[in-house]
Amino acid sequence: MTVDTSAGDEFAARLREALTKAATASTIAAPATHRTLLQMIAETAAGVISARAGALFLVDEETQELRFEVALGERAEALRGVRLPLGHGIAGGVALSGQPMAVSDVQADERWAAEIGERVGYIPESILCVPLFYEDAVIGVLELLDKEGAPSFGEEDILTLSLFANQAAVAIEQSRVQQSAGALVASVLRSLVEGEAGLDADENVQEDVRRLGASIEEDELFRRSLKLADLVQEIGRAGERELDACEAILESFAAYLRARSSTL
Amino acid sequence: MSTQPAWSAAFTSEELARVERIGPLEQITRDWAWAGSTGAGVKVAVIDSGIDAEHPAVGGRVEYVSVGEEIGEIVFDVEPHGDEFGHGTACAGIIRGLAPDCSLYSIKVLGPRLRGRGAVFTASLRWAIDNGMDVCNLSLGTTKREFFASLHELVDEAYFRNVVLVAAANNMPMPSYPSLYSSLISVASHSNDSPEIYFYNPHPPVEFGALGIDVRVPWQNGGWITATGNSFAAPHITGLVARLLGKHPGLTVVHIKAILRALADNMVDPVGDTRQ
Repeated sequence: MTVDTSAGDEFAARLREALTKAATASTIAAPATHRTLLQMIAETAAGVISARAGALFLVDEETQELRFEVALGERAEALRGVRLPLGHGIAGGVALSGQPMAVSDVQADERWAAEIGERVGYIPESILCVPLFYEDAVIGVLELLDKEGAPSFGEEDILTLSLFANQAAVAIEQSRVQQSAGALVASVLRSLVEGEAGLDADENVQEDVRRLGASIEEDELFRRSLKLADLVQEIGRAGERELDACEAILESFAAYLRARSSTL
Repeated sequence: MSTQPAWSAAFTSEELARVERIGPLEQITRDWAWAGSTGAGVKVAVIDSGIDAEHPAVGGRVEYVSVGEEIGEIVFDVEPHGDEFGHGTACAGIIRGLAPDCSLYSIKVLGPRLRGRGAVFTASLRWAIDNGMDVCNLSLGTTKREFFASLHELVDEAYFRNVVLVAAANNMPMPSYPSLYSSLISVASHSNDSPEIYFYNPHPPVEFGALGIDVRVPWQNGGWITATGNSFAAPHITGLVARLLGKHPGLTVVHIKAILRALADNMVDPVGDTRQ
């Protein structure tokens, strides 16, 4: 009995540790991973469709704006962080209508040319823009500029990019959920440490967190908990009822284990 | 308890309606259907981002209603509005290009917010039906499954009240409502550079193909762009339906679909036909 309890305690301690690690790991890794993912999506899209430049916008639900997340191309840096009101320009229009669209003489769209073109110092000739749908909502827009070797993007390109955008949106949303959960746990952890040791500890905490993150990749327990989290997330995507069933199964298994250890 | 309508009463000898023949579909020509018609007297609603009536391609004469949601309530505003992004103006320009004298109604549902769009969209269709629109152009849709039933009910009601709904098929690899409902006219794109060329597709859900690739369309700020998308194919069919109704008011949705099919550019005589 003593052995069992201590084994249980040890497992609980290790699980707690693993969860803390997982949370910290996603705090450290996710913002970078998230950005890398967005960058990768835009680059892959531009590669597949043979576009000279491109951009990825996400919808900011709070302000109802489109935010540039990734910009590809020579002077793309100038666009990072730029916000557009929804319904403004081609990207905003695609976000609102949910309909993909291609434009082949962009200079004619004065507003677009003035506000975005000037920033990048380059006015594209053609644009292909598709919405990023996750479940029922438009979460962003993927936009490609200037097709290599052709005056404009064709219908095939619209279809290919639409299919690609569908996959990309799922990846983006999953990565975003993980990131925000991680950030929440991190802020709680930080406030706990700050409460004990004052604000000065902040840098040390950051260093600890960084070190933890570096070692975490090799941790088997972390990988397993991440796999569990992935499975639950996948079940959750199937629907509310499936998630309820999953929770009920896990709960009754845990209750069974608790009952077994107390009767031993 | 409501009383069930006596459906069969319409078929008693006293009540039986006399319905005019439209003639054999094989003999129908485009001349008969819409030659000389400008769409005058036909109410055409563009459910979209608004219409810039000042744009030369639209040329004024637009009625307005803006549908929005405030604190959970649907609100209607009939003050004139513009088009902040160009999409609705593009559709209106295409329709006016084909049916210059139709009465255009701008039903603005694409505001600067994504939230509440489904509810606003269903309210806009309700408005169109209740206010006697003849044709509605829907170059937009929703993927929200929760609106499937309410939209379906409205689309059915539109059909029964002879409101023709013309919807752009969504290119996205997911179901989009209402473009997949059978009673409306769903349109995708072709690239033949003529606004009056359209094709029939015997393999639904998308039944018609109209010009939607590299179309010169009016846009915001009085500008023009060359755009590609099913959004721009649907208004071509809307424009032709407006002309058809201008010349033959009272046609039902079934007639209109059959006539459009009969006059499509890919219709051929049956193999082995000996009529000539």
